[in-house]
Amino acid sequence: MSTIIYGIITSVILALYAVGFSLTYGISGLANFAHGALYILAGYISWNLMNYLGLPFLASAPLAVVACALVGFIIYWGLLLRVRGIPLSELVVTFAAGVAILELLTWRGFYGISYSLPVFVEGGVEIWGVAVDAQRLLVIAVGVALVVLLYLFVHYTKIGLAFRGMAQNERTALSVGIESDWIGALSLALGSALAGLAAVVVLPLGMMESSVGYEVLIYALAVAIVGGLESTPGMVVASFVIGFGQRITASYIGPKWMIIVPLAAIVLVLAVRPSGLFGKFKELEERV
Amino acid sequence: MPGETLLKVRGLRKSFGGVIAVGNVGFELKQGDFLGIIGPNGAGKTTLVNMITGFVRPDGGKVYFKGKDITGSRPYDIANLGIARTFQMVRLFYHLPAYKNLIIPLCSKRISRIRGGRFGERDEVALDLLDDVGFERDSYVPYKQAGSLPHGYLKRLDLARALALRPEVLILDELFSGMSMAEVAGVLPLMEKLSDKGLTIIMIEHRLRELFKVAHRVMVLTFGQKIAEGPPDEVMQSDEVKKAYLGTDVELGESGRD
Repeated sequence: MSTIIYGIITSVILALYAVGFSLTYGISGLANFAHGALYILAGYISWNLMNYLGLPFLASAPLAVVACALVGFIIYWGLLLRVRGIPLSELVVTFAAGVAILELLTWRGFYGISYSLPVFVEGGVEIWGVAVDAQRLLVIAVGVALVVLLYLFVHYTKIGLAFRGMAQNERTALSVGIESDWIGALSLALGSALAGLAAVVVLPLGMMESSVGYEVLIYALAVAIVGGLESTPGMVVASFVIGFGQRITASYIGPKWMIIVPLAAIVLVLAVRPSGLFGKFKELEERV
Repeated sequence: MPGETLLKVRGLRKSFGGVIAVGNVGFELKQGDFLGIIGPNGAGKTTLVNMITGFVRPDGGKVYFKGKDITGSRPYDIANLGIARTFQMVRLFYHLPAYKNLIIPLCSKRISRIRGGRFGERDEVALDLLDDVGFERDSYVPYKQAGSLPHGYLKRLDLARALALRPEVLILDELFSGMSMAEVAGVLPLMEKLSDKGLTIIMIEHRLRELFKVAHRVMVLTFGQKIAEGPPDEVMQSDEVKKAYLGTDVELGESGRD
């Protein structure tokens, strides 16, 4: 029973890691390799606002999310705009930005056991005989709410429609007056904000240090590759496949093997079904 | 204002590698003009249009819209100014229902400034536009996924998409190619109506007979050069045009191939 409940929690956490990465990629075809760095940056900003300015966590968390959005926006306007349309350069730029952020945090001493964020909600409940703390339930609630809100946003708002237009056909979108640079910058800002949001709800569950950024990037990549890029159902299913895979591994083989699961999943999917479980790039299948 | 010069193109040039796609082409359009652009494949027609609409940056030359220099502007800025275009290779938003393809242009900056772009009226406006190009309003066709529609419908959907921007200049890149006779016959009256209403139209077309029914003026390109411009029947009498367009000195229209 506890494997199932904690499997669900792990899966939702993975989905939270991946949602911002997938959203940005889905809209503007931009693989944001700074995603993990932005995630941990939110934790760092939030911690500093609390400990140096004395803000309560309820205030510092949203500020950290906004700060992430700004950093994403700046990465786009400052760096990516010059290399747009050259995927390899985009990848190098975002990866370099990510490494720069992470190493900066390490240099500032952001590692060790002294950093953690408080939980939003105290206490816990018992579900079918398994003790679950309230923060983990909050994580699930945020995850579900986020998927629903994003669906509504993308399908029923002006900017959401512009996002979908850009995702489906950039050239046609340009010809009907959609400002691709602006939409691209917004998509990265939104993806970064989602990384920040995931950070402030997930990080209170454990310690934080700069190296978590690399881990989160690997998870986000694993979910995106296994689910198939640009596919929302794929993202959700992949999160659950990897999440449960990890929980089962932890219960029956040993917790230290958990990190193998996303890596093995990437290798397996690329070998057998390179477009992912729900992928749209079917031409890749023919190369297997 | 009728008679006002809307679009002025001066000495546009573009080479790809060593090949001159367009060399020193210029023309002028007054409001309400209907210009046909014809020429053999590879004559530079699409490149010319791509330069005007901002998809290709010219090597030299200028494009003025209402006296304002728009050379090298971004495609979305040009679209928002009121120059809309269709594409030879239709690529729509295939994963959206047909009518939603029009909602996206209706959400653009340009339309939010003029009427028809307000939340709540966009669906109506989209369905009206589709009705104009022959998507029966009461049928299920406007609600089908764009990707599932047959080619002739896609071409007309592309036209409606361009019209949704309420353009002042409409540029059609081989709209009729791949359309059935019946579909062309359905769209021609719409072209005439739009032109009569004062819309300025540029039409690249290989189907000359249909084009000459609607165009006031024709420009002939070959190997990136303009070799003639004038009323359709006059232009087609020119020996140079006959040679360039048909490759030989045959008499047009009397060859028995019609």
